Amino acid sequence: MTDTFDNSSLPEDDLLAAEYALGVLGDAERAAAEHRVAREKAFARLVTEWERRLAPWAADVAEVVPSPQLWDRIVSTLSAQAQRGGLWQSLTFWRGLSFAAGALAAVCLAALVYLGALIQQHLLVAAIEGDGHRHFVATVDVNRGTVAVVPAAFSPDATRVPELWLIPADGKPRPVGLLHADQTVTLTLPPDLAVFAKNNAVLAVSLEPPGGSPTGQPTGPVIATGKLTSL
Amino acid sequence: MDLDANSSLIAAALGRISAGDPAALQTVYRLTSAKLFGICLRILGERSEAEDALQEIYVTVWRKAADFDASRGSPMTWLIAIARNRSIDRLRASRQSRNMDPIDAATKIADYVPGADSALEGMQEQARLHRCLDGLASHERAALTGAFFDGNTYDDLATRMNVPLGTMKSWIRRALIKLKACLEQ
Repeated sequence: MTDTFDNSSLPEDDLLAAEYALGVLGDAERAAAEHRVAREKAFARLVTEWERRLAPWAADVAEVVPSPQLWDRIVSTLSAQAQRGGLWQSLTFWRGLSFAAGALAAVCLAALVYLGALIQQHLLVAAIEGDGHRHFVATVDVNRGTVAVVPAAFSPDATRVPELWLIPADGKPRPVGLLHADQTVTLTLPPDLAVFAKNNAVLAVSLEPPGGSPTGQPTGPVIATGKLTSL
Repeated sequence: MDLDANSSLIAAALGRISAGDPAALQTVYRLTSAKLFGICLRILGERSEAEDALQEIYVTVWRKAADFDASRGSPMTWLIAIARNRSIDRLRASRQSRNMDPIDAATKIADYVPGADSALEGMQEQARLHRCLDGLASHERAALTGAFFDGNTYDDLATRMNVPLGTMKSWIRRALIKLKACLEQ
């Protein structure tokens, strides 16, 4: 068999484009071809032409449904990028698109339960829900006197801010602090408030004017509540 | 399966993505993820690797939807190229799990039987490509198959088919030249 090869019937660039589109080039040649695709319009067009010629072959590949969590992973990646880019509006949109914003928060909760068991901390958690949505997940660290609140499916309100309340057995709401729609907020529980952070005490979120309730009691609608549970 | 069955829906959704509409990405995902995942899985061989690739692919689609030019080809062609390139890049980076089973050039690859929908343009393109592939020598077709579906390099294919690298290069280049000539008839 002879290995001599006359490629005069196709220009070298067209062959290179074909080899790149087919995926047969070694690392260095592939990187070089990629570099040319990004910079040379004519070469990029040759590659596109070969992709068009070869693509119908992909019809022979059986379809396989990816795991249902994959879409949520894509949404998380893009919403994290939107967050870094300060695109809050887009961030809310991404969160709304998640098939399972609630399920994601449930996973967080499960992870917290696991971590709590692991490190023997005195932690209480609450899933703060309302209207069929999990709006926030709160974790109270009793030893440190803090409460960390992670937003889940909470959609920000244009004019009002979410405020967190602790409601012990006496049924009177105590203001804890303002929450954020897009990031975890860690609030301090002063000792006179921390004594109420026990199993079965309730955390509630109401919508208040910017700066929080002026009266020390909820003035806007309570949109979500959740019971504290010891880990 | 007709790759271009939802072509106009996908093309419209890509247009909305480039205008910043996240719901349009979900439409593209719904219509194309099973096909693209099949391609990733075939090249990468492992579900977890293929899922990582698929995630990168849709993040790329979100960023680059404006690059899709409907006048240059179907949206599936564009998406398949992204899926294959991302999978091949991952395969080369990991150097694992690629199919390196020996290829016997004499193995008969099933002839393509056109489906009932072959009147559709997409099906005609598939039928034409298969006719041209069937016209290649069996060793040429086997080498192209390893490259396209398993993400093999020239080196990989030379090993799998037990021929010198130079021979493999000339087989593939000759096959590509014949393929182009046949498709342009």
